[in-house]
Amino acid sequence: MIVPPRKRFGPLLLIAPAAILLGVFLVLPYLNIVVMSFRMPGQGTPYGPGFTLGNYGKFFSDFFYVQQVINTLWIGFLTTFICLVLGYPVAWQLARGASTFRALGYALVLSPLLVGIVIRSYGWTILLGNNGIINRTLTGWGLIDGPLPLMYNALGIIIALVHVFLPFMILPIMSAIQGIDPSLEAAARSLGASKVTSFRRITLPLSLPGIQAGCILVFVLSLSAYVTPSLIGGLRVKTMAVTVVDALIDTFQWPFGSALALMLSVTGAIFVVIFGRLTVMKWKA
Amino acid sequence: MTEVSIEKLTKDYGQGPAVNSISIRIAEGEFISLLGPSGCGKTTTLKMIAGFEDATEGAIRFDGRDVVHVPVEKRDIGMVFQNYALFPHMTVEKNLAFGLEMRKLPKDEIRTRIAKVLDMVQLTGYSERYPRQLSGGQQQRVALARALVIEPKILLLDEPLANLDAKLREEMRVFIRDLQRRVGITTVYVTHDQAEAMTMSDRVVVMFGGRIAQIGTPSDIYERPANLEVAEFVGQVNIIRGKVGNRVVSTAFGDVPVSGDFADGAELMLALRPEAVELLPINSGATGAPAKVLSSYYSGSLVDYRLELATGAVVNVQTFPRTRFADGDQVLVHAPSDRFWPLGIVA
Repeated sequence: MIVPPRKRFGPLLLIAPAAILLGVFLVLPYLNIVVMSFRMPGQGTPYGPGFTLGNYGKFFSDFFYVQQVINTLWIGFLTTFICLVLGYPVAWQLARGASTFRALGYALVLSPLLVGIVIRSYGWTILLGNNGIINRTLTGWGLIDGPLPLMYNALGIIIALVHVFLPFMILPIMSAIQGIDPSLEAAARSLGASKVTSFRRITLPLSLPGIQAGCILVFVLSLSAYVTPSLIGGLRVKTMAVTVVDALIDTFQWPFGSALALMLSVTGAIFVVIFGRLTVMKWKA
Repeated sequence: MTEVSIEKLTKDYGQGPAVNSISIRIAEGEFISLLGPSGCGKTTTLKMIAGFEDATEGAIRFDGRDVVHVPVEKRDIGMVFQNYALFPHMTVEKNLAFGLEMRKLPKDEIRTRIAKVLDMVQLTGYSERYPRQLSGGQQQRVALARALVIEPKILLLDEPLANLDAKLREEMRVFIRDLQRRVGITTVYVTHDQAEAMTMSDRVVVMFGGRIAQIGTPSDIYERPANLEVAEFVGQVNIIRGKVGNRVVSTAFGDVPVSGDFADGAELMLALRPEAVELLPINSGATGAPAKVLSSYYSGSLVDYRLELATGAVVNVQTFPRTRFADGDQVLVHAPSDRFWPLGIVA
């Protein structure tokens, strides 16, 4: 098809503001991080003269850092999985359930996002701490002898992350389910499928685009979460994001911190790409 | 082949009955249309036959067995939806296989049946396509094939042609009707399009406000409508009024004998279809009512005239365009007395 030349620039003009914003404030700084990660460590300056691969060498030679990436990924997987399991029924209910409580449902789903991240994390410390509400109640009822380790470990981080990222799982799945024509389920029933079979063979696969989007969102957000892991993980469990900030701010190692940050991004991106490949949908245009 | 019997079927959502105690007997292999304006209860009736809606009262029998408490998936129905409801994530073949897999048929039987049904709907070679790769008419035929391939007891169609363009719609009417005859399956067809109902059905059930206004063959419905509502819903009609005297109604077109039991002096409404009359030149010497042409609409095979009688009443007349009259022409309207149909007494 021959496009008149005047029209060819129309779409470009439309995306220009967003593209400029992202270019100046995301792509350029990111490139700066890439360059920074190859700099020599500085003495009292952000970086020294010349370039080196040493920052990456340090990462791969010290299993401590590799282990941290693995821990972070593992927390990301579990948070994503738990969000999916908890979020899907809620999304289904919001999309297909009676409309009476839908507005209330939306409000409840979005409520974690309405509370500031620091306040929310401190809230979890009040609940999960050794002297926190949960442990004190269970001890008081005589159900446990000593406090359960709910905080300063991966479990506490996952609980808090699931809480805040659940909406990012529920909303895309809900919108995917809303986009499924209810007559498809009716057609499946008319062809002899029970409600369960009709869900398994029709609704679930058709909501896969929402599952895909929700999982990628929650996974990426979990990997890069900083405030929650640092407040709830404390000094004992550190995720990559916390370590990166430590390197940059506490020990002032900008080049090494940049290398760490990039290793986290790259591994995260690899898993997102693999996940995307695994969930490719041939039936979509 | 299955006989379907609907007895005093009622559906009440809580704001008065949407379907009000209707009874229909559908013979084996019969093609029945439920015809009526939106909100008349035709779709609700279909959904109750399918099992998507619970009946508030009444019975639905397939070959004598009440299925009211049988869930949809156990009723053994084939249903075609208005928007086709093809599974977008499955190829044509998978769509067709779905119902057969639910019935746990062996793989090679599934394959043979799919090949047969694809041939029947003239879509051989399309089995690997996804629904989005098909045209509206092709999707429609896949939906039909998917409903038929399971060899259900009855076939239910919910306004299946509403989303097609006019030409395709007419082709599909013939296609569906031929297919239904060949398979010999008992069929219930819901539509608000009277032309569709007339051309396809053995019998038409006309519904208004949750009640059945008339059940009859297409010609019963058109030529002998049960009441004014039916006459006006099915095609165009002129309502001619006149007083009964001596078993005869005197109208502007002359005396019309009526066979019903009407008291002398009662004012009667008579239905007169626009194509039932003949238009003649005013000086032709034939009997008829003189009238003036108000306007005419030429549509190729037919011409529609609006005429004003001497009484001031307006009648619509449809003729072949062999003799054309111009606006303002005086004409003679000849209506044979056997083309009038009494609709009842003016209330």
